[in-house]
Amino acid sequence: MKEVIKLEEETKTIEVGEDIFKLNEKMAEENKKIFEKYGIKAFDVMGSVGAGKTSLIEKLVEKLKEKYSIAVINGDLATTVDADTIGKHGIRVVQINTGKECHLEAYMIKKALEKINLEKINLLFIENVGNLICPSDFKLGTEKRIVVISVTEGQHVVVKHPLTFLSADIVVINKIDLAEVMGVNLDKLENEIKNINPNIKTVRTSCKNGFGIENLIRLLNL
Amino acid sequence: MHEYLTTKQIVESVLSEAEKHGAKKVLEVHLTIGKLTVLGIEQVKFYYELLTKETIMENSRLIIEEEEPLVECENCGYKGNIHFEMEDVYHFLIPTLTCPKCGKTVKIVKGKEVLVKSVKVVVEEKNV
Repeated sequence: MKEVIKLEEETKTIEVGEDIFKLNEKMAEENKKIFEKYGIKAFDVMGSVGAGKTSLIEKLVEKLKEKYSIAVINGDLATTVDADTIGKHGIRVVQINTGKECHLEAYMIKKALEKINLEKINLLFIENVGNLICPSDFKLGTEKRIVVISVTEGQHVVVKHPLTFLSADIVVINKIDLAEVMGVNLDKLENEIKNINPNIKTVRTSCKNGFGIENLIRLLNL
Repeated sequence: MHEYLTTKQIVESVLSEAEKHGAKKVLEVHLTIGKLTVLGIEQVKFYYELLTKETIMENSRLIIEEEEPLVECENCGYKGNIHFEMEDVYHFLIPTLTCPKCGKTVKIVKGKEVLVKSVKVVVEEKNV
């Protein structure tokens, strides 16, 4: 025979109020304090796979390595390809392999900073994981957030990813030497960015021939 | 895309709260997700079911409230929902930080949270 015991449950509602994303924000604030303490200008470079983040950082490093002591943190799911490329310029590079994670988080940066002699640098570029969506949810504590898009991503890249542009400071439109072949209207792209976020500064570049890099350096106040 | 990790953090947070209160079982979890995050609600629900298996959260109800974004304009004092513009070409609503009242730029106050608001738990089971 089956016996059923009926239970009367005493329940309770616990008010929690914990913001899961706040944990990252707190860590980002700590990173920010570290940057301030050591007088380091730090920039988060975000964008799709193949937008030209590594090439852009390479160009910036080439132009700025006499004036600044630079370090670069590279984020990728796997490989050290980017770190090897940037490392050829004789600066300190730390590669973060996230495994399966689609973005960098503030705690990863804090760990990477332990591998850098912070007293010896005053400029840091953080190359986020190639992804135009997820990194926007996770601030890293940098002074500015740069989004790199390229004309090979098509005319609709901005309107398809509006949330990314709400939290960016600077948008680099790269590969403009290919705009004509790709049939991409650069003015329209720029207008779409400004419509979403009027505070964003845009700059057109071609990392292949170096066009626009000086303009970007001015925008970054470097 | 980062729903798995975020949901894992949600589950860990709930489990630790439940443990603090000596809960035997979790019945309901009330969650607020801001509309300006890039989290997919359906994916969060999927991972929630998966990640709560064989814990005291198994079979609990996950109630997600999507939070409307709140923006504030320092120039004219506008406080309200973020403005959406209809894109003529794409026929799609695109969010904009342009103030709907004065045209200057607004600041995001709310809409990027993943908040574990409250948890309903069983503290004791009594025989009747």
